[in-house]
Amino acid sequence: MTRYAIQRLLLLVPTLFFVALITFALARAAPGSPFDRNQDRPLPQATIERLNRIYGLDKPMHEQFVLFLGNAVRFDFGSSLVRDRAVADIVKQQFPVSAQLGVQALLLALAIALPLGVISALRHNSAVDYGSLLFATIGTTIPSFVLAIFAIYIFSVNLHWLPVFGWGTVDKMVLPTIILSLGPMAFLTRITRASMLEAIRQDYVRTARAKGLSEQAVIVGHAMKNAMIPVATVLGPFTAFLITGSFLIETVFSVPGLGREFVRSIGSRDYPVIMGVFLLFAFLIAAANLTVDLVYGVLDPRIKVGK
Amino acid sequence: MHRKTPWSLLAMLISLALVAAACQPAPTTTPGGATTAPGAPAATAAAGDADPDATLVTNLGSEPDSIDPHKASFVGEIAVIMNVFEGLMILDPKTLKPIPGAASAKAAVSSDGLKYTYTLRDGTKWSDGSPVSAKDFAYGYTRTCDPATAGQYSYVLYVIVGCEDWNSMDVTKATAAELQAAKDKLGVKALDDKRVEFTLNEPAPYFDSIATLWVGVPARESDVTKGGDAWTESPATYIGNGPFKMTEWKHNDSFTFERNENYRLPVKLKKWTYVMINETAVAFAAYQNDQLDITGVTSENLRAVEADATLKAQMVDVPGDCDIYAGYNLKKPPFDDLKVRMAFSKSVDRAAFVETVLAGIGKPADGGFIPVGQPGYDPADKAQAFDVAAAKKLLSESQYATAMPPIKFTFASSNLNKLIMSFLQQQWKTNLGVEVALDPVESTVFTQLVKSPETTPQLFRLGWCLDFPHEQNWHSTVWKSGAGVSSARTGYNNPEFDRLTGLADRETDPAKAADLYIQAGKILSQDAPATWIYYTQSKALIKPWVKGLSISARGVTGLGKHDIYVAKH
Repeated sequence: MTRYAIQRLLLLVPTLFFVALITFALARAAPGSPFDRNQDRPLPQATIERLNRIYGLDKPMHEQFVLFLGNAVRFDFGSSLVRDRAVADIVKQQFPVSAQLGVQALLLALAIALPLGVISALRHNSAVDYGSLLFATIGTTIPSFVLAIFAIYIFSVNLHWLPVFGWGTVDKMVLPTIILSLGPMAFLTRITRASMLEAIRQDYVRTARAKGLSEQAVIVGHAMKNAMIPVATVLGPFTAFLITGSFLIETVFSVPGLGREFVRSIGSRDYPVIMGVFLLFAFLIAAANLTVDLVYGVLDPRIKVGK
Repeated sequence: MHRKTPWSLLAMLISLALVAAACQPAPTTTPGGATTAPGAPAATAAAGDADPDATLVTNLGSEPDSIDPHKASFVGEIAVIMNVFEGLMILDPKTLKPIPGAASAKAAVSSDGLKYTYTLRDGTKWSDGSPVSAKDFAYGYTRTCDPATAGQYSYVLYVIVGCEDWNSMDVTKATAAELQAAKDKLGVKALDDKRVEFTLNEPAPYFDSIATLWVGVPARESDVTKGGDAWTESPATYIGNGPFKMTEWKHNDSFTFERNENYRLPVKLKKWTYVMINETAVAFAAYQNDQLDITGVTSENLRAVEADATLKAQMVDVPGDCDIYAGYNLKKPPFDDLKVRMAFSKSVDRAAFVETVLAGIGKPADGGFIPVGQPGYDPADKAQAFDVAAAKKLLSESQYATAMPPIKFTFASSNLNKLIMSFLQQQWKTNLGVEVALDPVESTVFTQLVKSPETTPQLFRLGWCLDFPHEQNWHSTVWKSGAGVSSARTGYNNPEFDRLTGLADRETDPAKAADLYIQAGKILSQDAPATWIYYTQSKALIKPWVKGLSISARGVTGLGKHDIYVAKH
């Protein structure tokens, strides 16, 4: 297990290298430059050339990439080309906000989805089951930003219960957290229900019942534990997706997270920020997947990781 | 038996929503709006009605890239900088002409017109109470010209001796001695603690207008050195001489400013927060929820505002500072013929354009090149006025009357541009019977195309937003032969226009200069290297309790900041 974990960690190095290479190539292939953003008041050509020189953007591409790699291995991602801030500072200030929002949304999604999914499975074709189906359909089909706008109009503009935008106090966190959690919540509910349904029809559950175990012990100890494997599988990518910041939710609610900053950096061709944030995201997704793989072993002893 | 339940659940949800909607009053009768009649008590009570503890909340849109005055160039950045700093000159909100700011008067000009000397007001202070020295101003200007600062807006100071040469140096290759030598040649000098002198490349009476810009605000060298690249990050080093001091910057979230007690004038507002909401629909909701005191109105929510009497009464027009026009390549047929250009110019119904395409948010270009509200606007310039009969006549007299070559209209693809260009296409087809094909291209492709006259398309979208409100920045910067922003692209070249603007640029008598610019502007419109389409404008919603605003082309709160306050409500 330890050896397997170390192997997987080592595998991160080439993975991140290729992510860096592809990101670098794509970012530079996109037309435009960080210095030509206002068509009605364009910077003089001489100014653009001067800025390119200062930031080393006039050097050949491969040279720029090698320079980037050399600095990146020392965790130096440089400074933004358009903002007076180091990439590390931007990440340090913005990432915790996205992570907090993501973790809150994930916990909320789990707190609702797991019991709802299990109950739907145990009482399938009941009112609860149809209710959860309706909810899941809404949650997965209506885009989050549409729900967000509806929520703002109902709870802020009309009822004046909650603020429209912002971050930092509990009342400001309510809407973005709930809206962000809805999609994952709906999906997790369905997946929990499906795998639970499958689990309770298995022979070993029948066996557990037959040997006289209490219903609670059967469900929690036997059925649920196995039903959690598919859930854990999607949980990895979900976690990575949620904590790296939802651009849409952060934009609609003006949450000062990394998702917004990331999209901003692409729009303004802010190459160092694009690189730094992309690598962080790649690392988090890889780490989440690794964690899931390791957790399999705990949930189901039949899955032997490392073999 | 369970089949019915989902429907009852749905019915429950719907009725819940209906109850929720019914339980509250009409959305716009906000607590404040219900009790305060818009603008009613303001005239008599003056600042006596000010709420001493109120905070003004406005929207900056997005996080500024840089709030370093010697680097910045975008509107949101300038909104922060000009809260905290003040230049030697400031703009009169009514006329947009320069009036003394930190300096006690306009510049004293040497007899050859090349040396501009400003004297600081007595007792001007930084927000921490220490005196502002002429050296701090010299440092600010020097820093803008310094190639190591890597500013985007340094070129507006190229009229100062040595600024362009030094600023254009390659900091990665030049030796320290070479850089120092170039710096020593810079025509910026603090004569003593009170006087700062500028030596210019040519007489430039418009320098007073340049001195209003953020690039020329003072900075304390010790603060910049202490804070390094991050001197703008901390309230301890981002210290200015303007009406407010920055007390907090939460990245991507908000700025907080508080009254600067050491400002040269009393500041009425105690606290001012800038929030950062990208989405206009969200900002509109926040305004309705009383979380924002001022917000912009877009064409998307204009209808909602106009349908609501309370909101409609809170809406104001805000002048803009751009002119959007269609440019012609004067070297390519059919636009090498003035009659064709004029026929095109006179066949555009600009009033209908503003109504239909811009939903009324804009002004028809009914004068010359310089927009309404700006110094130099010429309402008498009717050379391009809408006149279908005259346009048809001109076209029939042109050398292409019988054989019109195919025409393509090239522009950077965007939703707004597509709307604009389709409208123009329709106008030319209906009024002139000329078919124009639309040619949308990616914005960077467009930038590449218009770099040289050889590749510039025959008909293309152009625009100019001013750097500083002065005719020089319109006529000379944009249309002077060869080097102008738009003349380089269109190939426009008229020696008489150059002569008049050249005279005006050097003319020290403001009235004479204004007259020369008006003459030049008329020639420009008659030569029609471009068809003026519209002047930008915007609309804003302002809560009735926000008072003392000087609305100008610098925005709702851009000028006269010390007079703004929030009334009790």
